[in-house]
Amino acid sequence: MRILIATGGDDHTDTALQLGGLLAEMIDAPVTLLTVIGSEREWVQAEAILTRAQTLLPAAVAVKTKIRVGQRARQIVLEVAQLEKAGRQILLVLGERSHRGLSKRLLAPTVERVLQQMPCPVLIARGRVQPPKHLLVCESGREPSLLHRLLHRFKPLLLAADVLTVLHVMSQMAAGPGVPGWELRADAQALMEEQTPEGQLLEADLAQLRQLSAHLEAKVRHGLVVREILAEARSGDYDLIVIGAHQATQWERFLLDDLAQEIVDHADRSVLVV
Amino acid sequence: MAQRDRLVETAPASTVEIETMRLPQAVRAETVQAVQPALRYLARGLLFLASLFLFILAITLMKEGARALGPLVRDHFQIATAANSLGFGWLFAYVVMSGSPVAAAALTFFDAGIIDRLGAFAMITGSRLGASFIVLFLGFIYVLRGRNRSTSLSMGLLSLLVTGTTYLAGLLIGLLLLNSGWLDGFQPGTGAILNSATDLVFDPVAEFFLSLLPRWSLFLVGLGIILTSFNLFDKCLPQMALKESQVGRMSRLVYRPWVMFLLGAAVTLISMSVSVSLSILVPLSQRGFVRRENVIPYIMGANITTFIDTLLAALLLDNPLAFTVVLVEMLSITIVSIFVLALVYRPYHEMMLNAVESIVRRNRNLALFMLTILVVPLILLLL
Repeated sequence: MRILIATGGDDHTDTALQLGGLLAEMIDAPVTLLTVIGSEREWVQAEAILTRAQTLLPAAVAVKTKIRVGQRARQIVLEVAQLEKAGRQILLVLGERSHRGLSKRLLAPTVERVLQQMPCPVLIARGRVQPPKHLLVCESGREPSLLHRLLHRFKPLLLAADVLTVLHVMSQMAAGPGVPGWELRADAQALMEEQTPEGQLLEADLAQLRQLSAHLEAKVRHGLVVREILAEARSGDYDLIVIGAHQATQWERFLLDDLAQEIVDHADRSVLVV
Repeated sequence: MAQRDRLVETAPASTVEIETMRLPQAVRAETVQAVQPALRYLARGLLFLASLFLFILAITLMKEGARALGPLVRDHFQIATAANSLGFGWLFAYVVMSGSPVAAAALTFFDAGIIDRLGAFAMITGSRLGASFIVLFLGFIYVLRGRNRSTSLSMGLLSLLVTGTTYLAGLLIGLLLLNSGWLDGFQPGTGAILNSATDLVFDPVAEFFLSLLPRWSLFLVGLGIILTSFNLFDKCLPQMALKESQVGRMSRLVYRPWVMFLLGAAVTLISMSVSVSLSILVPLSQRGFVRRENVIPYIMGANITTFIDTLLAALLLDNPLAFTVVLVEMLSITIVSIFVLALVYRPYHEMMLNAVESIVRRNRNLALFMLTILVVPLILLLL
């Protein structure tokens, strides 16, 4: 795996550099530092940005640098495609400037644009920079499961974690008065004991994780997906929120809501979108 | 069956006979299987025609009867202001457990000059507020029978709260639109033609009823018939048996609010009733569950097209101003819904769900809420 960190020399991209560097050290992955400029005239500044960026990475990490010219999000996606063509799995690390309200609606920040194309797993660095030891894995129930994808692509990350919490949010409510719905109030343990679809999902996840040394826990929350994930993230000492990407294809892109983007927008800590 | 067995025993060569005897039965079974759906569709088609016939008849009778009810409604119920009409429509919908007949009644009262168009508009709004109580009422019965409060009441409460907030905001926009007269020019050209065609068939029926009953009672007969007509119409709707199907899988996804808004509007355009549209969600989902994220825009869409039968009633009355009243009702709710969806959807969504959660959290909260929705229309009526 190679870690691609995009930097523009700002404070928020410094967070991405520091977290990306920590991860690279943890999982022993080489890093590519990328900066994107609007025109060739900015080349000198770009080199300065990359030189400074290297000083923020741990010394043991192997680093390559790259400068691209053009529109930021597009060039990042193109760089990912180029690296993947070379046969490497890529983790893209981005920092995010805080955008709220009208400016966010009008400008569509780089992170949002990149996530819309989702060229590879993306880590949005935010908040405290520390090794991701406590992971909140938000399992949606879609196939293949998020944990399956995580194990496939980020096993070293899971191996390095101390605590793994698998969270499933049940946002369902009874569609009518006569619907029996004890599941709508049940906790993870009860759902697993009764072998409901949610319980089976959590049980399968825990079974997959038992091969790791980390402490495991399964949680179920009831309510709106985004609200509950954010509430859980704030309630615990989580270093990283892991969520599935908005996997819409063709018609689904127009019909389905992009909850992943909302979580990324509102989370107060780093989010890994797989 | 016994005869067939005997043939097998007596002559092995009669296998052919067995086949020939079986064949007509098998063919018959296949034919029955092939014909059954067609018969079902035919029966539904006939039910639809019967419900339409009864609907038009009911409007004709209510229109006749409403003229004689003027003094009673004005003096006994003292419906003089828009607030009184709002409360009256609201309570009336509680009594008949449906909003559409009350909305139709509001138009016939308006047509008879008993209430003005602001009154008709407010009474129609009241009818929807009262109608949205139905799902909650059903849930309340389940609670009394020992079911969980939250599971039984959440959908009804959500429906009532969404309807209440959007309609009360729509009431202000609607009153503004009606007073400005901006929509008075929008009139269909088919009203008079439709009316003269239905007059030919239904006026003699109304005359027949008039020869037997006092004029005022025709309104009540019409009200009974319109309720029957809606019941028949509900039976025309296809029964959903889609559990574990692809549709079941689709019900687990979270859709964009606009998609659910349009879906709610489309389903209710066919079913004509918000409560029926909501009940359709039960078999559409695997375990009778729906995603919280999907429900509110669905209700908002349903709340607009539920007026389609009232619009038809206005056409049947051949009263251009009645048509404008319904059009304003639909437009004002559409404006409010679009505003909410486009600009304040997330906070509105959270506010509605938080309100539901806090109401079902304690018996005291629920009792207070139920008391409020009973007392408020009464106060409005007595103002």
